[in-house]
Amino acid sequence: MRRVSIISVIVFGLWTAGGFAQVQETEKPAHTGAKMEAVQYLYPEQVTVTAGKATAVAMHFRIKEGLHINAHAPKEEYLIPTVLSIPDSSGVRLEWAEYPAGKEFVLPVDPSTKLIVYTGEFAIQTRIVAQAGDHMVEAKLRYQACDDNACLPPKTITVPIDVVGK
Amino acid sequence: MKRNTVVLGVVLFILAVFAWAGWANYEFRKQAADKRLADAAHAELTAAAGDPQAALDPMIGKAAPAFSLEDLSGRKVSLADYKGKAVLVNFWATWCGPCKIETPWLVELRNQYAPKGFEILGISAEGDDLAPSDKDGWAKDKAAIGKFVQEEHMPYPVLIDGDSLSKPYGGLDAMPTSFFLDRNGKIVAATMGITSKDDIESNIRKALGS
Repeated sequence: MRRVSIISVIVFGLWTAGGFAQVQETEKPAHTGAKMEAVQYLYPEQVTVTAGKATAVAMHFRIKEGLHINAHAPKEEYLIPTVLSIPDSSGVRLEWAEYPAGKEFVLPVDPSTKLIVYTGEFAIQTRIVAQAGDHMVEAKLRYQACDDNACLPPKTITVPIDVVGK
Repeated sequence: MKRNTVVLGVVLFILAVFAWAGWANYEFRKQAADKRLADAAHAELTAAAGDPQAALDPMIGKAAPAFSLEDLSGRKVSLADYKGKAVLVNFWATWCGPCKIETPWLVELRNQYAPKGFEILGISAEGDDLAPSDKDGWAKDKAAIGKFVQEEHMPYPVLIDGDSLSKPYGGLDAMPTSFFLDRNGKIVAATMGITSKDDIESNIRKALGS
């Protein structure tokens, strides 16, 4: 009986170690050539607020190194601004959003052209009003990113945030 | 007693192996996650297949893909209409700052080299994936493009719906993207992003065969 127990433990151990080895084999880093978003939402993933009452929530984003996006109030009319929105049907209302001022950016190829942009990490300060209940909100961030020489098309990303109204 | 000790030793050894395997797996996954985060923090204007300029390079030396698009007045304009001329097929967008900077250079160079048989086809690729039935969307796009053309005094044909040429023209992942064609319609140079007026002129001269 004892022998059977020992053999069982050994077999189980070998099987488990083999399983770990397989997991290691398949856990390869993603192919670096894959297309990646220029802007990534960082946090918060979930907030708890008082239902019906406006609550401040700061939403944090990161822009890829080497890229910039237009500020909410860019200098030129033709530039696409960064805008956060929340769908009407989500059970959560975006009362207002305050965007960072942005930094002046000079295009190397034309120093007379000055833009107002966001780079690195930035936060949009918001005040939201939630109905009672758990709302899985798919907010949207629209932006348009460039590097020093070229521009990506405008993009809208989903900003998932779980808003619990108590 | 001795047998119990052996059994205990074996069990402890096996547990130690489990613990090591679990720790090693955790470390590997942590390092892989850190590497993915580091890779994601480095900016690349990458297409699904890799570097966008690299996506254009294989097109050099080949015939430019044929196309037929409408200009702002609704007239059909085909690439084939310009056979015998050196052509710059310049993809741009109204929201593109570098495009706005290079346009005056293009206008000047077009006027300078037109007598030698050079033309530019400016193709707007707004990247907004409008459905053909979206009349309001197209009207808004046309208005913005028309305003840009007027402000920049573009003397060459400006065509719309450049996004429909994305696949044959290397993905059009970033603007501006330019293709320089010789008189036989062969691509002699292709660039993604703004370069310099001198670079553009050099490629025009290459397309003219001078």
